[in-house]
This record gives sequence, C-alpha cells and structure tokens, in this order.
Amino acid sequence: MTRLRLELLQWFGLFGGGLAWATQHVVGFGISDSGCRAAGRQWDLPVSTLQVLLGVVAGAIAIAAWTAAFVAFRETHAVDNDAPGPAGRIHFFAQAALLGNVLFLVIIVLDAVSTVVELPCRQS
Amino acid sequence: MTAATLPVRHARAKGWWGMAVFVATEATLFGTLVGTYIYLRFHNTHWPPARLPKPPVLTPSLLTAALVATSIPMFVASRAVGAGRREVAWRALTVAFAVQVFYLVWQLHDYVDAIHRYPPQESAWASVYVTLLGAAHAHVLVGVLLNAWFLVRIWSRLTRYRAVGVQATAFYWHAVNVITLVVLVVQLSPHL
Amino acid sequence: MAVAAPSRERARIEALERAWLERPGALGWLTTVDHKRIGLLYFWTTLVFFAAGGIEALLMRTQLAQSGERVIGPETYDQLMTMHGVTMIFFFIIPMTTGAFGNYLVPLMIGARDMAFPRLNALSYWLFLGAGIFMYSSFLVHQAPNAGWFDYVPLALRRYDGGANVDFYALGLIFNTVSSTIGALNLIVTIFKLRAPGMSWNRMPLFCFAMLAASLSLIFALPALTADCIFLELQRKLGFHFFDQAHGGDPLLWQHLFWIFGHPEVYIIVLPAFGIATSIIPTFARHRMVAFPLVAMAELLVAFIGFGVWAHHMFATGIATTTLVFFAAASMLVVIPSTIQIYAWLMTVNVGTPQFRAPLMFIGGFILFFVIGGLSGIMFAAIPFDQATTDTYFVVAHFHFIIFGAAVFPLLGGIYYWFPKVTGRMYDERLAQLSFWLTFVGTGLTFFPMHIVGLLGMTRRIYTYDHGLGWDAYNLVETIGGFVLAAGLLLIGINIVLSYRRGVPSGRDPFHGGTLEWTTTSPPPHYNFAVIPTVSSPYPNWDEADREEDLRKLARGELVLADGHETPETTVNDGAISAVAEMPPESPWPVLAAGTVTAAFFLLLTSHYATAGMAFALMLLTLVGWNLHEPEEGVG
Repeated sequence: MTRLRLELLQWFGLFGGGLAWATQHVVGFGISDSGCRAAGRQWDLPVSTLQVLLGVVAGAIAIAAWTAAFVAFRETHAVDNDAPGPAGRIHFFAQAALLGNVLFLVIIVLDAVSTVVELPCRQS
Repeated sequence: MTAATLPVRHARAKGWWGMAVFVATEATLFGTLVGTYIYLRFHNTHWPPARLPKPPVLTPSLLTAALVATSIPMFVASRAVGAGRREVAWRALTVAFAVQVFYLVWQLHDYVDAIHRYPPQESAWASVYVTLLGAAHAHVLVGVLLNAWFLVRIWSRLTRYRAVGVQATAFYWHAVNVITLVVLVVQLSPHL
Repeated sequence: MAVAAPSRERARIEALERAWLERPGALGWLTTVDHKRIGLLYFWTTLVFFAAGGIEALLMRTQLAQSGERVIGPETYDQLMTMHGVTMIFFFIIPMTTGAFGNYLVPLMIGARDMAFPRLNALSYWLFLGAGIFMYSSFLVHQAPNAGWFDYVPLALRRYDGGANVDFYALGLIFNTVSSTIGALNLIVTIFKLRAPGMSWNRMPLFCFAMLAASLSLIFALPALTADCIFLELQRKLGFHFFDQAHGGDPLLWQHLFWIFGHPEVYIIVLPAFGIATSIIPTFARHRMVAFPLVAMAELLVAFIGFGVWAHHMFATGIATTTLVFFAAASMLVVIPSTIQIYAWLMTVNVGTPQFRAPLMFIGGFILFFVIGGLSGIMFAAIPFDQATTDTYFVVAHFHFIIFGAAVFPLLGGIYYWFPKVTGRMYDERLAQLSFWLTFVGTGLTFFPMHIVGLLGMTRRIYTYDHGLGWDAYNLVETIGGFVLAAGLLLIGINIVLSYRRGVPSGRDPFHGGTLEWTTTSPPPHYNFAVIPTVSSPYPNWDEADREEDLRKLARGELVLADGHETPETTVNDGAISAVAEMPPESPWPVLAAGTVTAAFFLLLTSHYATAGMAFALMLLTLVGWNLHEPEEGVG
C-alpha cells in the first residue's frame, strides 16, 4: 500500500464519521424546524423521507470511515504505539477513529429513527 | 548541529498557522451570522418583508467578482516572497491593493445607501442584512490595512518575518474572498 | 549533572541565559513575554477573581440559609448571582486552566522554549485583566450585570433592563472573548508547530491533547457568543431587531446562539481538568495510562460531540420533539467518551502501585464528584425528566458537582502537584491532606442537598423562599457546607504560602513524573531546556536512554540553539524539524495595546462611539510599534 493511500485512509477514518454526523445534525435540525414553522410549511417538504435519506447517507459515510480506519489499523498492526511518525502516528489515529466512528454511527441511527417515529411538529 | 546545519523539512511557518486558526474563528463568526439569517428566514413568511425592494444584483456581483479575482495577485505575491523575489511580490501586492481599495470604497458608498433603504430599526431582516454586510466590509478593511502595511514594509527590504506576514495576509485574503462570495449569495437569496 | 559541567557546556548554558534574560523588577513583569511568567500572572489574577466569586457565593448562601431572610435584597441578589456565574466561568476557570496551567505547562511538556507567539501571549493576559476590570467596575456604579450569567432575552432588552447592567455584560464578554480567542490560538499553534523533534501525535502527552481539545472548542464556540452579544448591543443601543417577534426576530435566537457557545464552554471548562487528572494518575500510580489512544481520542470526541448537544438547555421551550431528538441523542452519546476515560483512569490506578498523596487524593475526589455529576447530567438527556426539573436546584446541584467537583478539584490537585516545579519547594503533605478532606466534605455538604431540595420543588434564581415548604434544613446545611468549603480552600492557600517560604527544596523531580517538565530544574530556567529534548514516547522522563542522549547532545552542542533566542519549529503530524524560529524578546507593546482596547470598551459602554473609534485607531498604532520590532533582524 502506498504512503499516500494509507494517509488518506487514516485521515478519512478520523474525520469522515464526525463530519457526516455534523452535517446530518445541522441539516436535519433545519429540515425538522422548517417543517414546523409558518415560512417552512409553505414549501411542503417531505420531512420524513428527507430525514431517512439524510440518515442513510450519513450512516454510510460513517461506516466507510470506520472501514478506512480498520484498514489503516491492520496495515500498521506491527507498529508499536510509541513508534515514530508516520507509522506510529497512523496506527494511533486509526485506533482513535475506530472508537469515534462507532459513536457517530449510533447517534446517526438514533437521530434518523427518532425523527421518523416521533409525531411531527408535536411540541415536546 | 547548529541552526545552520539542521536537516529541515519544508513546512508552513507558525505565522501562517496562526492566521489559519484566526481565519477559522472568523469563518465561524460569519457562519453564525449566515445561520441567523437562515434561522430567522424560517420564522417569517415574507423574508425580506414584502414592502421592501429586493437587493440589487448587478453591482454587488461585479464588485465581488473583482475582489475574488485579487486572489490571483495575492497568490503570486505569496509565492514570490517565499522565493525571495521582493519586486515581483511588491508589484503583485500593489495590483491587489488597488482593486481591493476600489471595491471597498464603492461598497461602503452603497452600504450607506442600503442603511437608508433598509432601516435596521424597522425589521429583523434589515438588521441581519446590515450587520452581515457591515461585518463583511469590516473584514475587507482589515485586509486592505494589512496589504498597505506590507506594501510599506517590503518596499525597502524582505525579511523572513515580513515574508511570512505576506503569506499569512494572502491566506487571509483567500478566506475573505470565499466569505464575500457566501455573503453575496445570502444577499441575493431573495431573488432565488 | 553530578560533576561540575565542563567549560564548553557551561559556555553554552551561559549563552542561553544571556539570550533569554529579561529585565528585573516590576517593569520586567509589565513587558515579559516568558510563558512561565505570564502563566503566573494569570494564576494570581484568576485567584483574585476566584475569591470574588466565592464571596458572592457565600453572600448568596447566607441570604438563603433561612427562609424569609433579609440580608440581601432582590436587586442586589440578582447582581451577585449573575456576577458569581460570570466571574467563575469567564474570569476564573477558563483563564486559570488555559492561561495559567496551559501557558506554564504546555511548552514545557512538548519540549519547547516558549509559546508560538510570546508577545501575543502577553497581550491575551493584559486583555483579560482589562476585561476583568471593566466587568467589575460595574459594581462601583451599582450596575453589575443582573440578568443571570446566561442573560436571556427579553429580560435583557432595554425595555425590561434599562440600566447599564446588561451593557457591562455584553461588552465585557466580547472584550474577554478577544483575550480567550488569542490564548486559544496561541495554544493550538504551539501544540501544532513547536513540539520537540520526534514528538509525533502519538508521543504527545495527554495533558496537551486535553488543552488542544479545549482550545479548538474555544475557537469554534466563542464566535456564537460574540455574535449574540453584538446582536444584543445593537438592539439595546441602536434599536436593531433580532430578538423581538413583532419585527420578525425570535427570542429563542438568543438562547440558540448562547448555548451553541455555552455547551462547548462546559467541556472547555472540564477538559483541562481531565488533562490534569491524566497527568497526575500515571505519576502516582507509577504506570502509563491504560488505553492511551482511546483516552486521547475521548478528549477530542467529548469536545466535538459537545458541539451538537446545545438545545438540551432548551428542552422546556416548546420546540418540536422531532427537532429536539437530535440533541437528546447526542447528549446521551457524549457520556461515552467521558466514561471511557473514567474506566481508563481507574484501571491505571488498579494495575499500578498507587501512592495516595495529596494530588492523587484530589483526583479521587474528582472522579467521585464527576461520576455523581455525570449521572445527574445524563438524566437530563431524557426530555420528560428534564422538563420536570428545569430551573430547579437539581440543575444547580448537577453543574456544581461538575464545575466544582470535576473542574476545580483537579485544579487544586494540580496546584499541589506542580507547586514543587514552579517554586522549587515541597508543600506540606499533612496539611495538604487535611485541606483535601475539608474541601471534600465541604463540597459534598454544599452541593449534595441541592439535589433533594430541587426535587422538592425549590426553584433556581430566587433570593428567598417561604417557610414551611420543607426547604429550610437543606438550605442551612448547604450554607454551613459553603463555609466549610471556604475553610478548606483557605487552608490550601495557607499551605501554599507557608511552603513557598519554608518548604523543603524539592529538586528537579520529586514525584518521578513522566513528562518533560520534570527533566528540567525547579523552577525551570527562562529557556526551559538547555538542549531541545530527545523524545520517543509520551513519558519522556521515564526514558532513561533519551535523557542520557540529551547530556551527550549538550556536550556536542547539538540542538542547544544558543546563537540567539531560538526554538525549533516542527511539522504538524510527525514532529520533523522544519525551521528554527527566532523568538521575540520582551516588549512593552502588548500592555500598551491592551490599555487602548480597555479605553475603547469603556467608551463604547458610555456610547461615545467616535472617541471609541479613536481608541481603536490608537490600538492600531501600538500594533505598528509592535510589528516594527522583528525578532530576527533586531529593531526594524
């Protein structure tokens, strides 16, 4: 595996899931809020469909990021955590990303399911 | 090993990174301003209020195009100082500076008009519009002052400190240009 | 070095001492750019604000000790309550953790000679001092901020709060934000670019990961507060409309922007405390931190996920559930990284051979309080429970367990832990342990009953309450607890002062800690390290081979960098040397610039806009003077 490919896998693994969740969070909040307000209602958005779509895309990216981290982790499995960069650093961040992406995936799924299951626009 | 004989890797100077972090915070500030515009948009059936004329399209678009184009001479200046070519850098900075000053003066004149046409004391839309544009122009002013400073400084001599300063300023300008584009889109959004 | 250093080494060290010397006396403190001195300036100044915030708290507790008390009236109470929150958050804990601990320790831990931007560092301190003076001057005119530390609209609008109180608040916070932003920027670039050669990300101490997470959070969270305060002042002073529905605004806009800042803020508060805990535990457990990569990532994850939970402060505002679920889900998951850290800490103590000296005892107290505070916190993630307990003392209990128990306890432990490094003397261990128990009992007594009295219905932000509601006994206990807590803190202060004068000399490394600050003298010289250290792990002081290599490097003159005022720059990811940076010497410009900014803010407060503009122009002139003095070329 080339150095460039390993680096790309590690960085995508580290940031991909987080960015996917952040996007779903901001856009999903906007979709839900707009569907419940005077101005947004005039556009008549298919809120549930959009939320599911958003969740699926974000979830797919989070899974891809976890996989990338896993590949980077396996590729550097012989490297010690204290080893000098880049190998040591890549191994370190790959482990970190394995943790992060699991959390992001769980939040993404919880978000997508809840927005669909809950009654739309009911005041909490 | 003394400083002269250390094995060095080419990398961006800490001054550049300082500007990158500063740009991150300012971009976030604009994010909150644009976010406020979008958030309040959902709360209002008419945005802008129906009685107000929509913002002009042509002048802001042409001016923004001119400003964004100054990223080219700024990029040239940034590369030139990195290679120690003081005169090339100075000329590129001058070209950029001239266009940026032209942009700022025209925009400030139009801004005073906008405040009269859209009094912020009468609607939230006008308040956000005026604040957003004001913030954008303030950031352009800071960029113009930075350029002016370096025009003076590298006229006589180019040191590493000044070279990093020019590179950081170029990065600032690229960021301001992106922000200006985003602000333009928001400004023209009533037409969409 | 046990034997007298040969003359070549001595000559190099003397060259370093000459290059890094600063002028003596009071003037030296005004113009210092040494990160250790700036860290100490922050330390003492934040302690003064801590005392002020503590007095505000004790006054409130005295008023609340019994029902129907008339020690303090409602208007004064509102100001005390607001200023207690504002002081503790903005003028004590953030500057203490980032400005004092961060400034002093980060360069040492990464093997650098100073922060990336020494003069900017000084500026961030002087701006902080100016902002604190600005905010507290409000008491002199009896118009201290009075609408709560969160300052909700519409109460904070001119129509309902017409005096200068809220203007002090909004302008004071914008002012303080500039200082915090600059400080955070400096920490980030220092951590990115000034790490010792060989210190790739996986070899950086956990304390630095915590400071990085906190600093990145500050950079991305503070703009929301700045925008909010700018909107508020534009509405109050110039009649703009952001928060009133009649003109197309929304009062909830204030809350959204405030909490987009406010929630990351609480992680900014607690992350450096995590960093201190992860420094103390390996030292006193005499074992490396278990699951190091996961702990480092957990610190960054807490900060990142923490940006997505803000509306859990708004569960009772009537927003649709389908919108709020995003925040409930993130609020539940944000607990996981913190839990991972707790397990790692406990396991490290378990597999190590712990010595329960005062610093570790404070960390023990911290873990207990953090678990209790975290459990009450996770309860709020459930929207129905949150709605039942919003604005009750249950919330007050939760955040004091976190802020006092989880953020301040590690600070107190950290003060003892690094006291020998900063002063060269040991603190008194028995007095320290006594001070721990007093503080621990005081904290429990003060804040635990608040859970119960909150569930019994006592609301927040009230200056008195009726007799016969069943709240009296709890409030009395809390007040007694407050004074016990104050006694404990006072005892810590006494220990520090006495030990400074009479403590046993500590030597370089009294606790055999793992990080680089323990490799240099106590206190460190101005230039921190005679040789830029060799690094092969996150615990360099435990790598004997590397420390011996440093001595050989000093003999060879390698990476001593004594030609000027120098420190190396390295690449961001892998720590390879990329340049040698010439650092600026001491400078009067930061304190002068801060003076002009302070004047400008007072002028804005009193609506003298044109004159404020002139003060800002004067600030630009100080920046000109500043930049005329280039580090490498001498006076420009």
